[in-house]
Amino acid sequence: MLLVQILVNGVLLGGLYGLMGLGMALVWGVLNVVNLAHGALIMLGGYLTYYLFTGLGIDPFVALPIAALGMFVIGYCLQRFILNLIVRSAMLNTLLITFGLSVVITYLAQLLFSADFRTINPTYSGANFAVAGITIPVVSLAAFVIAFVLAGAVWWLLNEMTIGRAIRATAQNLTAARLYGVDPRNIYALTFGIGAALAGVAGGLFGILTHLTPYVGATLTAKSFVIAIIGGLSNPFKVILGGIVIGVAEQLASLYLGPTYIDVISFGLLVVVLVVRPARSLRAA
Amino acid sequence: MNETVLSIRKLTAGYGGAPVLFDVDLEVRAGEIVALVGSNGAGKTTLLRAVSRVLRAEGGIAFNGEDILPLPPEKVFSRGLVQVPEGRQLFGAMTVEENLRMGAFRRTDKRTLKESFEHVYGLFPILEERRRGLAGNLSGGEQQMCAMGRALMAEPKLLLIDEMSLGLAPVIVDQLLDVLTDIRSRGVTVLLVEQDVFAAFSVADRGYVMETGRITREGPVSELGDDPAVREAYLGA
Ligand SMILES: Nc1ncnc2c1ncn2[C@@H]1O[C@H](COP(=O)(O)OP(=O)(O)OP(=O)(O)O)[C@@H](O)[C@H]1O
Ligand SMILES: [Mg+2]
Repeated sequence: MLLVQILVNGVLLGGLYGLMGLGMALVWGVLNVVNLAHGALIMLGGYLTYYLFTGLGIDPFVALPIAALGMFVIGYCLQRFILNLIVRSAMLNTLLITFGLSVVITYLAQLLFSADFRTINPTYSGANFAVAGITIPVVSLAAFVIAFVLAGAVWWLLNEMTIGRAIRATAQNLTAARLYGVDPRNIYALTFGIGAALAGVAGGLFGILTHLTPYVGATLTAKSFVIAIIGGLSNPFKVILGGIVIGVAEQLASLYLGPTYIDVISFGLLVVVLVVRPARSLRAA
Repeated sequence: MNETVLSIRKLTAGYGGAPVLFDVDLEVRAGEIVALVGSNGAGKTTLLRAVSRVLRAEGGIAFNGEDILPLPPEKVFSRGLVQVPEGRQLFGAMTVEENLRMGAFRRTDKRTLKESFEHVYGLFPILEERRRGLAGNLSGGEQQMCAMGRALMAEPKLLLIDEMSLGLAPVIVDQLLDVLTDIRSRGVTVLLVEQDVFAAFSVADRGYVMETGRITREGPVSELGDDPAVREAYLGA
């Protein structure tokens, strides 16, 4: 019974992990940029949701779309006015710039929000129900459902909408996209904005399920990176599955090896995945 | 004489400081098919890239009387100046239909989209058969048809076509040349870059010969085809 409970916890948490990986994978697939500031954006989204809740009294789940919108604007502007300058340069440059960005965002967060732990704590945060003896926390289930809905939304955007097709076109053949009326600078900014918005929602949910500090970014970037690799860059639902793999693995590790091994697990899996499917895992959208 | 659609004056362009084109003058008039021929590395593709504004250039490029040199590529495309690039450059991981849709990316009158699809599928029935298949899985000839179809979906006024016949069987080349004649009759003007000078001259009205970044000869294809130097260099006679 304990094992089943642990698996359920892992799956539910994994949905949120998948949502974290989704923004990372989207930006990576389209811009060919491994965004080392992704975790910092998740953290920022978390604080945004936190202050909308504690400062303005907005229910956190209502605050999520507002945080997403705010993060979209931040992401769009970051890409349009800073990152577009280096987007097509060597991978090393983009890694350095996004790493620098994560340092700056973390530092600013520490200044503005202090280093204290914060939890987004609505009245219903402890609510749960039981199915066949398995406890299911309501907020975890909500996070899981939101992750899937957003994966579906990203899928719809990319496959069924004109602008989404332009995003994929840019990822697949930049030369042809430019010749066929696509302005890559706009597409890149839009894509980065969507990545940041997804990070924002993930951050809000993360703040509801666990707790925020300005320093969570680095770990979450690493986790998102692993999940993007496991899930691939082309199908949003596979990224969510990648998140679930990590979530379950973490919970199992915590059960059998002890909670200290939780963070080791992601990187253990990363090594395994890179050895087993090196080329395939890095193919673009 | 028809009005000028594309007017290139003293155009200079290159890559990272290394000049490739030198003072190129070229003109395409409404309803014409103009052939641009020249050996490998002459700068034909470079010229088309400059005209589509994806490559920096100096000099004059006017499209329907408007100076397009300061315009970004998407604006040039919106004006109806559409390129079928060398090597087809399809969106390989998209379906044929999605590739065609990308051709219509900037179109605002989505109502007439269906007619455009019908037109393209009428010209290239194989594309309709393969419309749900990935463009990357098409044969070379089918890919060229898809690239042409994508361009036609943009409702071009001027088509720039780069190496349409490269690597294709003669029967496919003939089919594509027929399509060119057909779309010209519908009011589309064409600038055709070709290695296959014989094929290009069979449909073109006028031709230009480019050598190492300069236009060295120009005139009606009947005259160019009789020019001993051209015959020797490009027609193998
Ligand atoms: N991206 C590039 N960077 C640097 N030099 C280039 C680039 N593309 C082309 N060149 C050079 O510019 C010159 C002209 O090339 P271009 O592709 O325009 O020739 P072309 O006439 O189209 O040849 P082909 O018939 O082989 O297609 C060549 O010397 C080529 O090496
Ligand atoms: Mg060429």
